[in-house]
Amino acid sequence: MTSELVGRGVVLLAGVVIGLFGLLSLLRLGLSNLAWTLVWMVGGILGHDVVLSAATLGLVAAGALLLPSSARAPSAVGLVVLGTVTLMAVPVLGRFGERPDNPTLLDRSYGVGWLVVAGIVAVGVIAVTVVAHRRGPGSEGEDG
Amino acid sequence: MARGFPRRPKEGDFSSPLRSAAVAARVGLWLGVCFGIAFLTGLYSHFSQDTPPWLTLPTRPVNLYRWTQGLHVLAGTAAVPLLIVKLWTVYPRLFARFPAGRRDLVLTGLERGSIAILGGGSIFQLMTGLQNTAQWYPWRFNFRGTHYAVAWITIGALLVHIAVKLPVIRAAFGSDVEARQPSDRAVTAERSAGLSRRGLLRATWLASGVAVLTTAGIAVPALRRVSVFGVRSGSGPQDLPVNKSARAAHVTARALDPSYRLELRNGNTVRRLRRDELLALPQAARTLPIACVEGWSASARWSGVQLRDLLAIVGSSADVDLVVRSLQVGGAYSVMDLPANFVRDDDTLLALGLNGEDLSIDHGFPCRIIAPARPGVLQTKWVASIEVAR
Repeated sequence: MTSELVGRGVVLLAGVVIGLFGLLSLLRLGLSNLAWTLVWMVGGILGHDVVLSAATLGLVAAGALLLPSSARAPSAVGLVVLGTVTLMAVPVLGRFGERPDNPTLLDRSYGVGWLVVAGIVAVGVIAVTVVAHRRGPGSEGEDG
Repeated sequence: MARGFPRRPKEGDFSSPLRSAAVAARVGLWLGVCFGIAFLTGLYSHFSQDTPPWLTLPTRPVNLYRWTQGLHVLAGTAAVPLLIVKLWTVYPRLFARFPAGRRDLVLTGLERGSIAILGGGSIFQLMTGLQNTAQWYPWRFNFRGTHYAVAWITIGALLVHIAVKLPVIRAAFGSDVEARQPSDRAVTAERSAGLSRRGLLRATWLASGVAVLTTAGIAVPALRRVSVFGVRSGSGPQDLPVNKSARAAHVTARALDPSYRLELRNGNTVRRLRRDELLALPQAARTLPIACVEGWSASARWSGVQLRDLLAIVGSSADVDLVVRSLQVGGAYSVMDLPANFVRDDDTLLALGLNGEDLSIDHGFPCRIIAPARPGVLQTKWVASIEVAR
């Protein structure tokens, strides 16, 4: 037990030292750089803790009201997959970095790609729901 | 939840058994693995671009940087679903009450502070990293320096978090994922109305897999067709994508100027060579990748002059560090240091041709550097001069 405490103490101390090195590196980039970094960091936290979390709570609440019970688990899987992958793809879906002088950058039809992924997810969710429904209400929530 | 809505939520409002240490520890383990890979490969990339004098980086395997940087971006991509699910499982903790005693208050404050740094740093790293892969720069901080500094901060906060939570993590892995844990909140329901904990874990692994599969084609040619969110399809002029065009670098006129001469300089010895004089020197051909810091990479067949043959013209051995300057004026990568071990490498060329044709203007005409195992930004295009470093 004491050796575990010592081990945890060493890891904790290493974490503090590594984190302080990072903070020092960040400060070295100047105050304006620090201010803009904090703006984006706090923006990221609020974007998640307020916007994304509220949207997720709303979607889950709507699902609980509207979906039959056999569709809940498969729909939740569909939400996890499509929701997170869509977030990951925002920079390419929005084509924000597109440049007229470089057609080799962002050179796919990302909207079509998203529709294909969403279609596959939707088909999967419906198929699993139908199977779960046929198996009867006793098996709901057993797998996902 | 809906009852009494706009009041501030309390920890006790969240009763889903999925929001548990059992799920958080399992997702957190893989999130930690992804962050570890991204951190180490990120350090490698940082030191590849900014090599301190005491460090010599390997020139083999030639695909080394292609692998490490592909791994860096894909580890970050895989981490997006993991981070979102991890944050979701621990979301009720955000509304937990602070304890009453002063000592507990300080300890809890420190712990919450480290978690705020960890959460903020994690979101920041994944967000800015993904934006950078798509060359989307809406911010006003220095990307490379800031992404590097916040990586250290985030990894530090992660170690603190692991040290603090180790007993909870051990307990979580010590029992079945569906079993009730001492760390479960009193309001936690016995059973979920929908998905089970195991089901959520499988959904999370699936989401990470889909995220990787739909982007990995940027680095893995076999996956190009399924990588619908890949930032590049792998095609381009002369079968190779372009990172920065001649127009964006404002070099077109100077690169196409008939009076162009490559300047070779060794102290006071200076020689200026036209492109046809370079083509008259012994030519070598090599298959080497362009491996960008943004994670995409593609292999190509390059032809040109070995650097040692160029250095012999100005009476230098190949055992020297070089400073290579581009026709591009300004910009972070217009001047590049090439360490001696890359200069003497047989595979390092001043390339004049690409995939059987003359180098196109967007790939660096009249000539560019191509070296094994180096980041793409250091494969200097539109070379103006090569100088022995003093």
